[in-house]
Amino acid sequence: MTKNWWAKLSLLVFFVGLSVVYVYPTLSGLDVEKSRFPFKQKINLGLDLQGGLYMVLGVDFNKVFKDVVDRQGSSLQDGMKEKKIEFKSVKTVRDGLPVEDPHIVVEFDAAKRDELYKHIKKDYWTLRFVDEKPGRFELGLSREYRVDIRDRTMNQSIEVIRNRIDEFGVTEPSIASQGTDRVVVELPGVKEVDRAKDLIGKTAKLEFKIVNDKAMNPGQVAELVSKIEKDNNLFYKEGQKFSAYVARINELAKGKIPESNEIAFERVRTVTGQYDPNQRIAYLLHSKTEVTGDDLQDANVSFDQENRRPIVTFSLNPRGASMFDKVTGEHVKERLAIVLDNIVHSAPVIQTRISGGHGQITLGTGEGDQLMKEAKDLAIVLRAGALPAQLDFLEQRVVGPSLGQDSIRKGVLASFVGMLAVFLFIMFYYRVSGVIAATSLLLNVLFVLGILVGLEATLTLPGIAGIALTVGIAVDSNIVIYERIREELRLGKKPQGAVEAGFQKALRTILDANVTNAAAAVVLLIYGTGPIKGFAVTMLIGIITTLFSAVFVSKLIFDWYLRVIEKKNSDTISI
Amino acid sequence: MFQFIRPDIKVDFVGKRHFFVAVSVIALAASIVLFFTKGLNYGIDFTGGAEVQIQVPHAWDIGKVRAELTTAGIKGLKVQEIGLAGEGAGAQSAVRQFLVKAQGDAGSLNQTSSTVEQVLLKTLKKGEYEIQRVDVVGPAAGSSLRMSGFLSMLYALICILIYVTIRFDFRYSPGAVIALFHDAVITLGIFIITQKQFDLQVLAAILALIGYSNNDTIIVYDRVRETTQQHPEMTIEQIVNKAINETLARTILTSLTTFFTVFALWLLGGGVIRDFAFTLMVGLVVGTYSSVFIASTIVISLTHFYKKREARQKLAGAKA
Repeated sequence: MTKNWWAKLSLLVFFVGLSVVYVYPTLSGLDVEKSRFPFKQKINLGLDLQGGLYMVLGVDFNKVFKDVVDRQGSSLQDGMKEKKIEFKSVKTVRDGLPVEDPHIVVEFDAAKRDELYKHIKKDYWTLRFVDEKPGRFELGLSREYRVDIRDRTMNQSIEVIRNRIDEFGVTEPSIASQGTDRVVVELPGVKEVDRAKDLIGKTAKLEFKIVNDKAMNPGQVAELVSKIEKDNNLFYKEGQKFSAYVARINELAKGKIPESNEIAFERVRTVTGQYDPNQRIAYLLHSKTEVTGDDLQDANVSFDQENRRPIVTFSLNPRGASMFDKVTGEHVKERLAIVLDNIVHSAPVIQTRISGGHGQITLGTGEGDQLMKEAKDLAIVLRAGALPAQLDFLEQRVVGPSLGQDSIRKGVLASFVGMLAVFLFIMFYYRVSGVIAATSLLLNVLFVLGILVGLEATLTLPGIAGIALTVGIAVDSNIVIYERIREELRLGKKPQGAVEAGFQKALRTILDANVTNAAAAVVLLIYGTGPIKGFAVTMLIGIITTLFSAVFVSKLIFDWYLRVIEKKNSDTISI
Repeated sequence: MFQFIRPDIKVDFVGKRHFFVAVSVIALAASIVLFFTKGLNYGIDFTGGAEVQIQVPHAWDIGKVRAELTTAGIKGLKVQEIGLAGEGAGAQSAVRQFLVKAQGDAGSLNQTSSTVEQVLLKTLKKGEYEIQRVDVVGPAAGSSLRMSGFLSMLYALICILIYVTIRFDFRYSPGAVIALFHDAVITLGIFIITQKQFDLQVLAAILALIGYSNNDTIIVYDRVRETTQQHPEMTIEQIVNKAINETLARTILTSLTTFFTVFALWLLGGGVIRDFAFTLMVGLVVGTYSSVFIASTIVISLTHFYKKREARQKLAGAKA
């Protein structure tokens, strides 16, 4: 055999050895903790195989853009006051505009137009001019700023979710953005699915607001709410969005409550600890948020001194503490509502000014264990910080662990039988050459698995099918080559020449076929999520290894086979 | 040398092409009409909805499951039995598996799995039942998945069109892409007729099919091009017919071996893999047919078309 051949063989042996090392821990069920085998990486199983929770969350930008525009409007007012630029009014308009582009309308004295224009142009890169009429500017957020807000909101959301999950304790969670407004969360092997969902979905926006008992006493507020409900035939039913119900009530209450006030509810639990859909306590609150959870320093679970129920205690940072101190000082004997995600948790009366910035959140009645869990989770979300936007569950998929096991068993069996059928067929049809093809296909599978482990890619159920399919497709390359060799033989060529010509002439066809396969696989990789992505990955890896095994491995073995024929002085090749 | 198909086979495929084109046009038209009238039976991936797979004791038959769940007031409730396990191993260990489907708005869909669990907990203890799988897709997410799904098929076709155009030329690429379009649409048509559920796995299979189905076409095309260079004196009809006959063995063999694996997956794979493999089986058959009868036929027509245009241009050039 030539030097060249031995070099190629060494390369092949190296690849095979490497793949075996990569695949061994997975196939042998190696106990990585105890074993002294140097390589411990196992194949990554997808959620559909090992069980777990997969979620797609939509980030709701509506509120984010609304808040940003409101803030920009008031900052503009402050800025104009500071620069002593006179103006008549600053308003935000949203009606008839896309959600992410509310406008600010500034009305001013026409004579001051240039001064104001310069001020805005100079100090507000965040704003753009949409429209101008005499004495009136219409402004919108600039494009760059909107992109910036979107990016920041997405990144923050992912960050906050990650922090929460880290505290929850899931091994190898994956949190990633998808497109411009989605977050994909994958939690392998998670058991408490509902709890994980609550933990992730909670906005956890903590606010402190003063209860406006001076305008209406609690009885009057309750009366107003029940009147609105009756007049408009509006009732909250279980399973509906509570926030939508609250928003509707506030819309209808407009004019009946003082301006910049709002109605909020405390939800009442039944004895079992579930929220009672038919009971709630209404509050009239000043809309102004006095202190927010942004100024929270820490939150922990603790126990109520009187009834030993779990509560969540929190402490504020110095800035929050001084604001808290000021508010409580100004509103002694009034009630302070602790509002979490727009739901009132409690509204104690401020007895004296509270300095130091410590407080507590009570959770109401409920069964001990469940209440404890809830307190823990609340402390986690408060510590991890609020989500910058509300998240909606767009997709969620849960796979139980036993189903995954069952899927693996069936998938592997089906793939094995499929591959075996191909091997048997090709060995029957092409005899010795068929054995060569089967060998290279077997190595092909080994390479696919090795690369999967090496790249730390994820094997999913469709991915297992993808490996079987790779064999079905890879054998095509062998067939194309062999049929070509047969043709060359029929033309009267000697085995040596026929094999050379066969490999050479078939190469182009094989390349073309695999490139179009790869094109479809890449589209799948981009479009697909979760299990489908796993399929695309195995297909792509399979295409690369197929090219290698059909062209390189088979040829290598063929060269050796031709040599054997030569030695026997024979002119026939078994194909 | 063992062979199914004799190497000197000479079937007049090209002569019969009008018949096969007619068959394909009818099948295509029927599929498209069905697509817009009857429509695909979309799974929750594309319509939104909830699906909960449960395993309950053998005593719970479909009537009982349905009756129990109806009391919970699940919207758009559908129950489907999908499997029996452990039968014969004593009635104690025997279980049944059901798929519970629900429709509704995003809020109520999210509750489906806990509602089902509450119903089961009323009479069963933990451990006697199992919630094996939950899929919830919001209505908005469903329609966006559907849109991007069809777009992805389009992108795959465009990629292949570009590649075949670069590797061959304009006489070949339309035939390859029309054949692929033909395969995808007729496979969809079969899904409409059988009303089998069309979900993400099926879509993935169709995309894989678009990639794979092109292989046979390329084998024929390569041979057509080679023969054109070797025998410039032959007409395009003769060339194509010769190419199809010469490559017939490998076209059938390659499809057959792939069919083996796909058939095994369909027979033994269970659940998700089963639907996936079914799609590929249908597609393989349609794809092999179109490689032989459709893709090459279009090459013949386009060759004539370009020749005529060339002749016209020459004529115009001579006059000028």
